[in-house]
Amino acid sequence: MMIGVDVGGTFTDVVAIANGEIRTVKVSTNVKDTHLAVLQGAEEAGVGGATVFNHASTHGLNAVITRRLPKIAFLTTLGHRDILDIGSNYRPLDALTDASWRRPFGDAMRPLVPRYLRRGIRERLTADGGVLIPLDEDDARRQLAVLRRCDVQGVAICLINAYVNAHHEERLRELVREVLGDIPVSISSETSPLAKEWARASTTTIDVFMKLIYGDYTKKLGDGLADLGFSGTFNYANCAAQLVRADIAMEQPFEIVFAGPAAGTVASAHFGKLIDRGDLLCVDVGGTSCDISMVTAGQPYVNTTFLLEHDLIVNALSNEVESIGAGGGSLVTISSAGEVLVGPGSAGADPGPACYGKGGTQPASTDTLVLMGVIDPSTFAGGRMSLDPDLSRQAFENLDTTLPFDQRVSYAFNIGINNVAEGITNIAIKHGIDARDYSLVAFGAAGPMLLPATMDLVHAREVIVPPHPGLFSALGLVSSDQVYGDSRSSYTMLGTEAVESVNKVYRQMEDKLRERFDDKAPDIEFVRSMDARLAGQTWETPFVAVPSGEITPEKMDEMIANFHDVYESRAGNRFEALPVQGVTYRVEAVVKADKVEYPRLDRGDGQVIKPDSTFQLRYLQDKPITAGRYQRENLKAGDKVEGPAVIHETLSTTFMLPGQIAEVGEYGELRITRA
Amino acid sequence: MTEQTETALKNLSDAEFEQRYACDRYTATVLSNRMRYIVEHMCTNLLHHAFSMILRDWYDFAATISGPKSMNYTQSTVSNSLVLFSGAMEHAVRNAVEEFGVDKLRPGDVLMVNDPYRGGNHVNDICFIRPVFHNGGIVTFVALRAHQLDMGGIVPAGFSATKKDVYETGLVIPPMLIYRDDEPIASSFHLIFDNARYCALLLPDMITIYQNLLLGERLMTESISRYGAEAWLGAIQYSCDVTAESMHDAISALPDGVYEGDDLVDADGIDQTREYLVKVKITKHGSNMEFDFSGTSMQARTSINCGMFDTKTAVGVALKILLDPKSAFNSGVYRNLDLMIPPSSFIGASPPDGPLFLYWEASMPVLLAVFRALEPAVGLNAVGGDYGSLSIHNGHGVLPDGTPWVTVAQCGGEHGPWGATRSGDADSYEAFYLANNLDPATEAIESELPIVVLRKEYVPDSAGAGYNRGGAAVRRDSLFLHGASHTSSPVHTKRSSGAGVNGGGTGKAGAVWLFPAENYDVAKKKHLVPTDDAEVFRGSVPISGLLDKDTNLQDPENGKYFWFGSNPLWHTKPNDVFRYITNGGGGWGNPLERETERVMRDVRDEYVTIEGAARDFGVVVQGDPFEDPEGLTIDEDATRAMRAAMAAAAG
Repeated sequence: MMIGVDVGGTFTDVVAIANGEIRTVKVSTNVKDTHLAVLQGAEEAGVGGATVFNHASTHGLNAVITRRLPKIAFLTTLGHRDILDIGSNYRPLDALTDASWRRPFGDAMRPLVPRYLRRGIRERLTADGGVLIPLDEDDARRQLAVLRRCDVQGVAICLINAYVNAHHEERLRELVREVLGDIPVSISSETSPLAKEWARASTTTIDVFMKLIYGDYTKKLGDGLADLGFSGTFNYANCAAQLVRADIAMEQPFEIVFAGPAAGTVASAHFGKLIDRGDLLCVDVGGTSCDISMVTAGQPYVNTTFLLEHDLIVNALSNEVESIGAGGGSLVTISSAGEVLVGPGSAGADPGPACYGKGGTQPASTDTLVLMGVIDPSTFAGGRMSLDPDLSRQAFENLDTTLPFDQRVSYAFNIGINNVAEGITNIAIKHGIDARDYSLVAFGAAGPMLLPATMDLVHAREVIVPPHPGLFSALGLVSSDQVYGDSRSSYTMLGTEAVESVNKVYRQMEDKLRERFDDKAPDIEFVRSMDARLAGQTWETPFVAVPSGEITPEKMDEMIANFHDVYESRAGNRFEALPVQGVTYRVEAVVKADKVEYPRLDRGDGQVIKPDSTFQLRYLQDKPITAGRYQRENLKAGDKVEGPAVIHETLSTTFMLPGQIAEVGEYGELRITRA
Repeated sequence: MTEQTETALKNLSDAEFEQRYACDRYTATVLSNRMRYIVEHMCTNLLHHAFSMILRDWYDFAATISGPKSMNYTQSTVSNSLVLFSGAMEHAVRNAVEEFGVDKLRPGDVLMVNDPYRGGNHVNDICFIRPVFHNGGIVTFVALRAHQLDMGGIVPAGFSATKKDVYETGLVIPPMLIYRDDEPIASSFHLIFDNARYCALLLPDMITIYQNLLLGERLMTESISRYGAEAWLGAIQYSCDVTAESMHDAISALPDGVYEGDDLVDADGIDQTREYLVKVKITKHGSNMEFDFSGTSMQARTSINCGMFDTKTAVGVALKILLDPKSAFNSGVYRNLDLMIPPSSFIGASPPDGPLFLYWEASMPVLLAVFRALEPAVGLNAVGGDYGSLSIHNGHGVLPDGTPWVTVAQCGGEHGPWGATRSGDADSYEAFYLANNLDPATEAIESELPIVVLRKEYVPDSAGAGYNRGGAAVRRDSLFLHGASHTSSPVHTKRSSGAGVNGGGTGKAGAVWLFPAENYDVAKKKHLVPTDDAEVFRGSVPISGLLDKDTNLQDPENGKYFWFGSNPLWHTKPNDVFRYITNGGGGWGNPLERETERVMRDVRDEYVTIEGAARDFGVVVQGDPFEDPEGLTIDEDATRAMRAAMAAAAG
């Protein structure tokens, strides 16, 4: 049995795959003790008998975005403490002529490490690794004493030019341990030895946060799983939905800061292949956020860096995913100008929307949908939770506005839909695609409920609701071969003289990866790539194929030729006279794994079918209208459902507008189009 | 003046919309967004494949889309980079195409122009223009203007405030082809390579620029084929109309009246006693505005002037920032504006003896003069001045093995603080208001050049105080490992550009020094040059700023003015250090109303000293911010008393 667990801001989703069957469990995320909800779900899924436990979490990202972060310090070269405030200095397009824009992580907004905990240490290395100013250990100790007084829990160290000479960083780490004890410390020369200090400093800082956030969590989770009888492999998914064994992931946990959404993209790509759809807008609407990604011709977009928010960069392989603050838990509020606003604030899992009855008094999108009749209060979340529509009503009544009640609800619905549609459109535009060519894959607990209503705003070709949409991302953790990755960075001019050093880098990485699998070694396929550039450039051309096996002078020539080919295909030019500089060498170990199989449905007779029951759909139009209610489990392949309608299933509800029609596909997916 | 009444775009019926723009609303939105995406894609691709540091680490380029002659080359779309390029590029495209002859263009052509008097900016910024054809006619123009590391002239890499005429500034290229039938024209390349330095970088950069024009053309052709040329042109018009309508509404909301403002540049490279004034009188009536720059100084005799297109850009950006920050920048900005720029003036220079190189040093004061003029009109939306001047550094030399090297815009005051706004304190490290770009990474500079960037940090007590505080000045120290020659161009240190608004304080004026290694050798001392040790400053060579005449320390109130032009070319010995301090950003609102907690946090974070908190904010903070940052406290009683006294003294 394989288990996939995806922790979102509101719910923790568990899927168990055994004997061609998919079993699912959904539990509320425990914000304070995240591992408890994971263990609860794992227990219900029967984790004791599993061989693999694949885990993705947005927990790290949420901590950064909300700035609920532990107190850490940032040490750098004297004179450079403001690296973390400056960033790349680039601002977004909508701030091109906006002087009120400020860097989201700058001192004038919400710094991750306040300036007084960013301290310059007297030392200076030059670009060739030479020492201009030796490390002043007395100065360092004095600064560390201040940090001890401030009770910092971790330290990130990034010295200028440490990517060529790690000695000062290593010594400084020893001094940190000496003065502050055994607390998490990351040094940039290990974490991400790439030139250009901002990205390296940011990555190192995030790494320390993640060590604090995930370190303790991993231990508790590992112990808990062992108590449940689990003796298989515990993997984390990284930002590109590749799997890394948990203990290894903890060496560089910045790589797993944002894994859940990538799993959703992988699940979409895998399912899209089954149903012959290669161009997808993948939209995961959870309780807190809406994560949007794209698949073109069957492939997710993979980047070598990842932005946690504007310009807040991490040097990690990642599927490109954009998040907006819109979900089932998005709070409905009234602005000072009297407008109805939806999000970006969220009710989260606790207290949750008003109808949860856990003390929330502010209405959330879920309350809107309860009042409209879309959510059936008695069957929500598989009947695990009963909702109280009176509390939803009360919350809307308490809003500070003169709008009549019905308009409050209908505005809240339409504005929520519009926010999601705008987010999707922005991503489509950013990539220059016309959404009319793309299918919108709707998943996440609230996805099928909100996304069909965006179809006309987004102009998507269709909306596809896959099977098990409520925990589709978790299925992404069991949708691919297991890919274990590693990478090393060092600046090397490629050529005959570099054969031995490049060979050594790959051999070391592959030996290390092979060690992780013991007896399974024969099944491993290594896929190599590199990021490289032409002499004189400072940006790399990523993902150039590197031949496998022993690097010989011939294979080195092949690497160089591959570079020129890739460069020409991306940049239009071929500069064969210029030397090629290798920067990052990457290897992926692909281990063939069982994958989720989606069972096929029996075929129906292709007719429009009658609803199981009807209900009054309120607040969508001036007057309530009659809409059908269906149970998804009763639908057969080829069946058609006409909107307005809701289609319930255990962990999700699909909501179709009047004028929309859904056809059931052979794997049970709903394809919603305009009638 | 009568107000034109036009139906707001949002109230157009579907039929009216279709009639006006030859497409439906959705298509118009898709296409106008697509245009933005296309220029972004061209720019990102150029950035990631460029060779010279000014392109790959600085983002010193911009891309634009313009309509055909039938639309008077109206510009719909600019990239997210230097607006000071984009604004002038409308004119560069129009003037180059008209002068060359639009009928002479054919598919596969690339036209270039770098003449600042014809197209704005300076000679290094070559504007490359590609006509995009569809069914045999030109539908649109896509342009990329990118800074070339050198364009000849008397200063390697070009940045200098002391060049005396158009012959000294560098090669002037009139509108001419550089590609025909998608083949490079050898004579055009030779013209540049026979006159410019560092051609080993220029060649791959220029080929890469060409490829990105092709990329833009391909993406546009796809869209034009799919949606039709009429819809494409409709979308160009629509993009401009959206901005024009937004500006129209924002202007209409201002009180009618006449508003005046000014700003000052220290001197040119010839005469330290002659200041250069920018003066503007703005008449606002209904939805229209007139900008009359009469009274502005005549053109300077060295290269600190700007051309009229640069002035026009600065006016547009100033208004966008104050009135309508969110709509897109394009030709639509100017629909309701009239500008009167005196010919052969400091902000509308003429050839041959009104030389242009540091054009932003004249156009930034234009922006600031408009800010100052409109402060009473925009009320709470007033914006503090930024660092306002790049104090640009340009240096060159040869490595011990004889290899020549050059540094541009990496070791001066090229980045600095913004002014505060009603929405909060300002950042201390940004591009100036007319630009958006990258900060060259210290490690990118050092891996290529014999330079060690020793300090890049904020200066305490330099920001304009206010309810919202301006950004702090940036202090940048650069050590040169080998002997070298430098031009240093801090021309805006007498009157700080960091103007405070709505009662906010003005940011401290900047300054520049040279610290010769013979007086303070970083390598021997094993320590950075101190920040304010009078003994060390006595051993410095002041380059610019208002400084104490004995100690050379900053003294904006009573100091003596030191003139950058005292030495047009500085020669340095190994390990000499240049220090640049930018102007501080302007504050917003009354500093005596700033919450004491926020003031204490600034003390903790060393943006403000304990003395500064008392002097500038009337807040008495106790403790040691360096040794015990979390142990600071506020003496509430003493603060109340001090603030009451300061408020009384201010009347």
